[in-house]
Amino acid sequence: MNKKLVSALLCAAMVVAPATTAFASAEGKVCAIVTKSAGNPFNEKEAEGFQEVIEAEGGEAIVKHPESATADAQVSVIQSLISQGVDSICIAANDVNALQASLEDAMAEGIKVCTVDSTVNPDSRMTHVNQAGVQEIGQALMDAVLDITGGEGQWAILSATSQAANQNAWIEAMQSIMESDEKYAGLELVEVAYGDDEPQKSTDQTQALLQKYPDLKVVCAPTTVGIAAAAKVLQDQGSSVKLTGLGLPSEMAEYIGDDDAHSCPYMFLWNPIDLGRLGAYASIALANEEITGAAGEKFTAGDLGEYEIVEASDGGTEMILGAPFKFDPSNIDEWKEVY
Amino acid sequence: MEKKSIMKKITGSREALLLVVLILLCAAVSLRSPSFLSVQSIMEMLKNNAVTMIMSLGMLCVMLVGGIDISIMSTLAFAGMSVGMLLKYGHVSSTLLCFLIAMGIGIICGFLVGLVISRAAVPPIIATMGFMYIYRALAYLVGNSEWAGADALGSFKDFALGSILGLNNVIWVTIICYVIFFFFMKWTRTGRKIYAVGSNPSAAEVSGINVKNIKLLVYSIMGFLGGLGGALAVSIYASAQPNMQYGKEMDVIAACVIGGVSMSGGRGTVIGALLGSLILSVIAKALPIIGFESIYQNTIKGVIILVVVVVNVVMQRASDKNNLKGREM
Amino acid sequence: MAGKSGRSISATPENTLKKTIFSWEGVLVILFIAVNIFCMTISDVYNLKNVLREMPKYLAEIFLLLPMAFILVLGEIDISVGSIVCLSATVSCMVCNKGIPFICVILVGILVGTACGMVNGAILTKFDELPPMIVTLATQIIFRGIAEIALGSGGSVSLSNADGFRAIAGRVGIVPYIFFLVIIFAVIAAVILGKTTFGRRVYAMGTNRLTAYYSGVHVKKIRFLIYTVMGALAGICALFMVSSSYGANTTTGSGFEMDAIAMAVFGGISSTGGKGNLAGGIISAFIIVCLRIGLGQVNMNPQLILLILGVLLICAVALPNVIAEIKNARKVASRK
Repeated sequence: MNKKLVSALLCAAMVVAPATTAFASAEGKVCAIVTKSAGNPFNEKEAEGFQEVIEAEGGEAIVKHPESATADAQVSVIQSLISQGVDSICIAANDVNALQASLEDAMAEGIKVCTVDSTVNPDSRMTHVNQAGVQEIGQALMDAVLDITGGEGQWAILSATSQAANQNAWIEAMQSIMESDEKYAGLELVEVAYGDDEPQKSTDQTQALLQKYPDLKVVCAPTTVGIAAAAKVLQDQGSSVKLTGLGLPSEMAEYIGDDDAHSCPYMFLWNPIDLGRLGAYASIALANEEITGAAGEKFTAGDLGEYEIVEASDGGTEMILGAPFKFDPSNIDEWKEVY
Repeated sequence: MEKKSIMKKITGSREALLLVVLILLCAAVSLRSPSFLSVQSIMEMLKNNAVTMIMSLGMLCVMLVGGIDISIMSTLAFAGMSVGMLLKYGHVSSTLLCFLIAMGIGIICGFLVGLVISRAAVPPIIATMGFMYIYRALAYLVGNSEWAGADALGSFKDFALGSILGLNNVIWVTIICYVIFFFFMKWTRTGRKIYAVGSNPSAAEVSGINVKNIKLLVYSIMGFLGGLGGALAVSIYASAQPNMQYGKEMDVIAACVIGGVSMSGGRGTVIGALLGSLILSVIAKALPIIGFESIYQNTIKGVIILVVVVVNVVMQRASDKNNLKGREM
Repeated sequence: MAGKSGRSISATPENTLKKTIFSWEGVLVILFIAVNIFCMTISDVYNLKNVLREMPKYLAEIFLLLPMAFILVLGEIDISVGSIVCLSATVSCMVCNKGIPFICVILVGILVGTACGMVNGAILTKFDELPPMIVTLATQIIFRGIAEIALGSGGSVSLSNADGFRAIAGRVGIVPYIFFLVIIFAVIAAVILGKTTFGRRVYAMGTNRLTAYYSGVHVKKIRFLIYTVMGALAGICALFMVSSSYGANTTTGSGFEMDAIAMAVFGGISSTGGKGNLAGGIISAFIIVCLRIGLGQVNMNPQLILLILGVLLICAVALPNVIAEIKNARKVASRK
């Protein structure tokens, strides 16, 4: 921390990593990553993975956090990066539409733009690095709900805000999967509640769910703050209601377990470090004009292997990191140290 | 005759009016959802809103001297985050020590705010706006892009789970704070001095009260409660994040204003602050239970705040008129 | 001391040069130059072209600063403006997508803002014992709440045809249109506050509202008017926010009220009312904007930037007071 503080105070520019590798494919390139907000371990790990790859490939990495978790703040960040003349911008967007003007400006200046984690509309990006396919996430969560309820019963969703694009897409996918397959017929989704990613409001919402639906069996929370708050409520009350969803291992380690003393049998997430790394390889490939972001193109992302760009459901293109990763009592202790 | 005077008492006192509003609110909610008034539900509500309720006491003192403090939730985050990080890296493990550290940080933060306001004559809203940015930034810097989750907090989070005589520790802390402040504001010299400074600073100065020191004191008290709130919030939610309770200072201010605390100083009571924060707590607890579409919840909350303060004014005007009538007769 | 009316500096005959330099505005101009030199030394890309290109988003906030200065001079505060920006940006995006002529979209944006401002003004004049802070806190929640309802699930709207908004985001050479507009509005506002009877009445109300009322100032009318204008300018700010993003969402404009207040206060406008002038506010706005752009270009931690702004804000208000106090103490001592 001290080092960071001092370097920032001195307003020193980033030190360019010495380029030693012969095949340095990012040689002389300046690649930037813009996160959703500061002070969030998930974003930090994403940026770490990004920085590691760019510097290993001989480029210069710029990590930028907006001053608040809004699209407005990201607009200023993008404008600043255009001034600095970077070669590529990789951004985890806070809003689908609001970055269009500034990202178009960036692309007009020849900067390659890709998104990671949460995307923007197809006009404002060249391609999107998706952590996992929307369908895969919906499927994994639905199967978890089916498994934990034992085949039938009431369940509810506790989401972030009603405006969160990622969460809404996953919830929609879950609902359509539930309707399309007979095996989910016994499940009844009673409510989608929104805790706004605030511990206090998520607690209120979870308690209200328990109060309103005495027969509730499972809560599914596809958001990191919501799942931790819900897990705490359920575990403290010793409730028979179980929990699953998407959560950070370090935040959830306390609540994951198979017995009645723990509220969450298992949950999912992806590896933010790998996500950042894939974002970095995509940025390099775009900056070197190996790819243009059109569907069907392939490129090699270092030790992550080969990736193909495919059509995304919103009309743009994307690449998919992999299937969501399952955290259960057998591996949680190992992962809680990582992120 | 007897009845009339009771009626008069009710319409004449702000607190009684608020109590009526609170009871009506609870009645309306429990009509829709009978389980709202169960013991468990009320305990949950008190625990989940303890931080706002405790901070309202500090805000009461600050507003009594005609000030305002919007830096409190940044102080809370700074204190909470510091405790969270100390626990995470195993520097401290004693729960008591953690509370003391958080409260100590809170007092220092509040003292600095008070110093700037009382000694450099900076308007409170400006000074606390500056400190709001500063302390929040410190919370981020202390956290260094990490959170402290349930696993990292060890036994510290058990404090908010334990109970004495069937009441949760957090609720006990809230009750103790309210009792202390009730006596402090009503029966101690310092408490009365705070009122005196608020109603007429120059008169207070002339009568030998050190106005500057009283101002310093109230902001230090506010900071102290902010620190306490930080430790409590970390314990209640078993999580320390740098953006915790972001923007919630407005809830605390709203609680005081609904409770009849005057923003120009000198008027307001501990009971009023209690009722104001209870009304807000009931709203927060009730909206999801009644089952309003979550998208309407903010609008409804805003309208309720507006209606409560406007009704308060209308009632006050009516009772002022009544009092005048009585005098004419 | 700026004197009771806040304008005694310019009203009294003065030994001009020394007074100008040592006035708060003089200090600000020097600070503005210093900040620019500082930014140029730390950042290689801090030049006129880049600064002007990054500026429009920040310039939009200056529209809020102007009426906010009037409100602060009144000794009041309006914390609902960020939400007005959000609501009016949302509505103007939505009507724009209906395909009506762009001039109507502009009118709608301004009208929505004006209507919000009138709501604030009406409540505050009807129930004048209510503190503005608490009323605008409630409307802050309500206006953004209405925008949330209008936006529905997804919480964001994009323009299906951005031509109109693209046009107002245009520029003459390297200078964006909004720059000229801000300067024109700023001059008009500064003249109204500084040189007209209306402005003098605003100062009078800020110094002592009751006295102003008894001396025949239409207190209610003036307050209503100022809050309405605040809304209208928030509408204009909203249009430029849309032009810098081609869309609106539930967080559009959040925190703008604090930015506007900070700029005004840094410029020497006291929130206790009756003091300060707009020239200071506008210079300080540019100081803050340039500092943010410069520090942003060297990728400083954004929380650290906020920390610096917080310290600057407190020092800007505290230092003159402390210096005055020390001078006073010396005077008293020498008299003895």
